[in-house]
Amino acid sequence: MQGKKYIMGLFKDEDQVVSTLAALKESAYKFKRVHSPIPSHKIMAALDLKKSKVGWFTLVGGILGLISGFALAIFCAVQWNLIVSGKPVISLIPFFIVGFEFTILFAVFGNVIGLLTQTRLPNYKGMKYYDPRCSGEHFGVLAACDPTQQDGLKEFFQQNGGEVKVFD
Amino acid sequence: MTSNETNTEKPNKSPVGWVFVVLIIIGLAAFIYGILSPHPEKAWQAYLINFLLWSAIAQGAVLFSAVMHMTKARWSGPLSALSESFAAFFPLSFVLFLLLFLGRSHIFPWLHADLHGKEVWLNIPFLFTRDCIGLLVLYAIGFAYLYNALQLRSSANQAQGAFRKMIRKGWIRNNRNPEQVKKKMTIWAGLYILAFTLVLSLIGYDLVMSMDPHWVSTLFGGYTFVKAFYVGLGALIILAAVTRIKKGKASGLEPSHFHDIGKLFFAFCLLWADFFYVQLTVIWYGNIPEETHYVIERTLMVPWNTLAWTIFGICFIIPFVILLNKRVKSAPVFMVILCSAIIIGFWFEHLLLLAPALSHEVTTLSVSLSDGLISLGFLGLMVVAVSYFLNRFPELTDIKAGEAA
Repeated sequence: MQGKKYIMGLFKDEDQVVSTLAALKESAYKFKRVHSPIPSHKIMAALDLKKSKVGWFTLVGGILGLISGFALAIFCAVQWNLIVSGKPVISLIPFFIVGFEFTILFAVFGNVIGLLTQTRLPNYKGMKYYDPRCSGEHFGVLAACDPTQQDGLKEFFQQNGGEVKVFD
Repeated sequence: MTSNETNTEKPNKSPVGWVFVVLIIIGLAAFIYGILSPHPEKAWQAYLINFLLWSAIAQGAVLFSAVMHMTKARWSGPLSALSESFAAFFPLSFVLFLLLFLGRSHIFPWLHADLHGKEVWLNIPFLFTRDCIGLLVLYAIGFAYLYNALQLRSSANQAQGAFRKMIRKGWIRNNRNPEQVKKKMTIWAGLYILAFTLVLSLIGYDLVMSMDPHWVSTLFGGYTFVKAFYVGLGALIILAAVTRIKKGKASGLEPSHFHDIGKLFFAFCLLWADFFYVQLTVIWYGNIPEETHYVIERTLMVPWNTLAWTIFGICFIIPFVILLNKRVKSAPVFMVILCSAIIIGFWFEHLLLLAPALSHEVTTLSVSLSDGLISLGFLGLMVVAVSYFLNRFPELTDIKAGEAA
């Protein structure tokens, strides 16, 4: 790891995490990620992440779905050209149901593809820098620094009210 | 409830308030001029459209609070308190309905027609009795809900008035126990939701569907109340946005509130279109002349066809595309524009449902100036009623209200 040292601060309190994140941004240490046992709006806001692109995948999926739904219904109807109770062969009003269902289906597909490509999934190896307590009652803030700064980062986490775990 | 009659005499004292009082006077003048003219039916048609639209807005907006309470929703915050202020229009709506009786010969085209057995249901005494009772029940339940809801929201150290004293007494009778009040609210909210669906269905059948007495759609009642909730939410967003712009952070309204109610609004935009589509599909499949003539006249024949597609665009397609965006939903100013456009769209939707039956031989779409003036009069009534209520209960637009909900 080119001599980079990974250190995690473990916190029991959500607000401590938020204040630590703010302080970390000011410091020279490199912030890596937060492990949270619960979804937290406060931490999301403090992280100030870029907007996720998953929504675009869903939108494109939905639009493609609408088109393919209508295309499928029209294609099938044209194969037989049967006139049923005087209705036109290509009648858009009932085909809308197929179009609508395909919109939902393809939007879901798009969403799943977006999720897989945008969130580094699937991940079989598991995380290298992780503490099982983050699935329990602790929030984990992971940061990296040069080995020389190691003690400083440790102290930094302790000052902010967390326990420290150092990764080899 | 008696002091509600003084609504029009006691508007808020700011100059903006007077503008709306002037609007009421202009609307009233246009209406009286209209019924004295050689074509009183035009004025009565505008009156009926506005009565239906503005009553639906008030009923639908109050429904929001009832639904939020029933589902124990916490996201709505100050929005549910705001939505209750629309109940101030209830007494006005009831009086407006009674006035409709004077125009009965102009707004019921079936009055002298052969109804083939339907005269048992469609006759003036029965129609007015049942609708009158229906509205009375709905509004009484609405006020009973409000009476309990305001006990939680109103604080003691505000200026006293007859209303506040009554609510204060109720609060003491409930042993100042929020849980006890909430239990009563749950009962009244449930009854309000039930009454809302039944009474709005009844109004939809009696005052809109009956205009074409030989046409039947069993879904029309459902369509009417889904539409009412949709426009009610639209009006609530406008009120919330105006409150936010006027009072800023003190209103307790955050962009996230607008985002959330925007999502609900979006959902009801879809649901409205769904009810329209479901109705259309069944009629299209059945292909029975008694049913199809109604749709054909309104969507395929001049002059209504362009209007029909414009309405569909304004009330569904445009909001659908725009409301996909999160930023738009959280921007109060933009939502005011969008919701106003949708409410105007629904004014024309009522016109589309009523006018072809009321004026048969028209070849061009005629919306006159007096239609607009009468509508502005109704807008004035609504604004004056709501601001009267909010002046009585200033804590509804204050940040403390959010915690009580």
